[in-house]
Amino acid sequence: MTAIFPAQPALPTTASRARSALRGIGMFFRRAPFSAFWGCIAAAIVAMAVAAPVIVPYEPLKSDFRSMQKPPSEQHWFGTDQIGRDTLSRVIYGSRASLTVAFGAVLFGTTVGALWGLACGYFGGRFDMVSQRLIEFLQSFPDLILAMAIAMALGGGLVTVIVAIAITRIPFGGRVIRSVVLSLKEIQYVEAARGLGASHKRLMFRHILPQCVAPYLILATTHLGVAIVIEASLGFLGVGIPPPSPTWGNMLSDALNAGLVPPWWLVLFPGVAITITVLAFNLLGDGIRDLLDPRLRGSV
Amino acid sequence: MYSYIARRLAFGTLTVIGVSIMVFVVMRILPGDPLVAIFGPEGFTKLSEQERAGYMAALGLSDPLWVQYLAWVKDILRGDFGHSFFRSESVADMILRRGPLTAEIALISVVLSWLVGIPVAIVSALRPNTIADSLVRFVSILFIAVPGFWVGMLIVLALLFWFGYRAPMAGASLFADPVANLQLVVGPAIVLGLGQAAYIARMGRSSLLEVIREDYVRTARAKGLNNRLVIAMHALPNALLPVITLSGVLLGLVLAGSIPVERAFGTPGLGYAMFTAVSERDVFVMQNLVFVYAVVFVLLNIVVDVTIALLDPRIRYR
Repeated sequence: MTAIFPAQPALPTTASRARSALRGIGMFFRRAPFSAFWGCIAAAIVAMAVAAPVIVPYEPLKSDFRSMQKPPSEQHWFGTDQIGRDTLSRVIYGSRASLTVAFGAVLFGTTVGALWGLACGYFGGRFDMVSQRLIEFLQSFPDLILAMAIAMALGGGLVTVIVAIAITRIPFGGRVIRSVVLSLKEIQYVEAARGLGASHKRLMFRHILPQCVAPYLILATTHLGVAIVIEASLGFLGVGIPPPSPTWGNMLSDALNAGLVPPWWLVLFPGVAITITVLAFNLLGDGIRDLLDPRLRGSV
Repeated sequence: MYSYIARRLAFGTLTVIGVSIMVFVVMRILPGDPLVAIFGPEGFTKLSEQERAGYMAALGLSDPLWVQYLAWVKDILRGDFGHSFFRSESVADMILRRGPLTAEIALISVVLSWLVGIPVAIVSALRPNTIADSLVRFVSILFIAVPGFWVGMLIVLALLFWFGYRAPMAGASLFADPVANLQLVVGPAIVLGLGQAAYIARMGRSSLLEVIREDYVRTARAKGLNNRLVIAMHALPNALLPVITLSGVLLGLVLAGSIPVERAFGTPGLGYAMFTAVSERDVFVMQNLVFVYAVVFVLLNIVVDVTIALLDPRIRYR
């Protein structure tokens, strides 16, 4: 008998979850083909970064003194730099540094900001007031200048750069999530849960936090591009990841240090890499925002 | 209105105090040891214990932190921004000499961003979803993605390659030598201006699209007003308010962005000084420059807020 009647809606299994995720991606392609296309490019860049050691034609740090500062050729598609390192390999490795920093900084900074914003919006009162002032102080610095100061004070390195950029991301997460929480707090289902005697912890994490996922995702993707540009600028100014490691900013800085007239291929390719990467993540972010929450257009 | 300005200034003062504490914390406390920042991790390990203590005492770094902080604030209030380790010129003189160049760059770039961004926004908003609109949107997204300092390097390279031209390296004041001054300023201003223009065009477009749907715009049309006049007299003034706010936010982008851009062009402005301070690990110069930049940013934001309040009574009376 039970076979005839439709069973209760099954609990989501792993397979059905995967299917619904696939359906979501399919919808993304139909609704925003342009963003989805750039999303694929972003995915390709991530793949390139992961597979870097396998796909590079040369060692990024190895100098070849027989071909120094050579223009693009069949052996070296993107040419070589002043000490004979292959530019293509360095550009490919540069994506690793860039993406590690960008993902690390955004994940860390936006998460801290979001949790802070959640607490501010939920508790309000004096805690919120003090926090808002602190966030205002943080926002009184132009992003790059704050990142420069922190990176310089902590001394160069991968972790330092991630922390420096993450701190500049905190205010954005804090502001946006706080305003979301403020409006959620008054919604009836939250009030109902409160009426049933749910604890602060339960209210915050079970009832309010899940509603913050969409704005968080949107915020995070939008800020990836900013983080990549800041990382490149830090490298260009000499406070990024220290020189022998190939990052796009370091490569541009090296090109400028080389002499009065930097060879064009050393300037062109790292910059193109930055531009395409930032463009891909920005457009992907725009698409995700339009899909998840069109109301946020222009506000994040 | 005056009470609004007073309130804004009071908050601004509070912010400046907070900023000064934050700068101090970042530059003096975070590293644990400013000597590491000055000498680099390798140089630091080579110093003997005595040398370290000597340097710390000479720099006033062995005092308690709050004494150091108060001493720093007192110096700044007296207008004494200290000296670089590496140069004879005082930081205050350096700011006075180099500051105007960066200010010029910032000002020209803001004017340029409006001159380019607003017409583009109008064209794009009046014909939404046409080819021209899509093109404008893509180009503005592209301009947001391109790092300004890289465009600067490309421009310098192209000018050198095709015209054998290079902007003069020495500083030149607007009044003493306007031609040389303009050559210095124009490149960074264009690069930074176009970067901002992209944001302004985007914001202007969406804000104009929203305003055009408002009742009063329909009324203006219904009474038979020429479409151009409707846009120019009724829609645009209201659509520009968020753009002005954005322009204020973008000033931060210009102030910070001019650092790598000035390096790319070799412009002897304040941004280049910031780059020099960072690459020489000149902690004290950096500390003061960061503070100056933050204060300028706070002041500019107050100016923008007051401007908005002057233009929009809804904000004034809140």
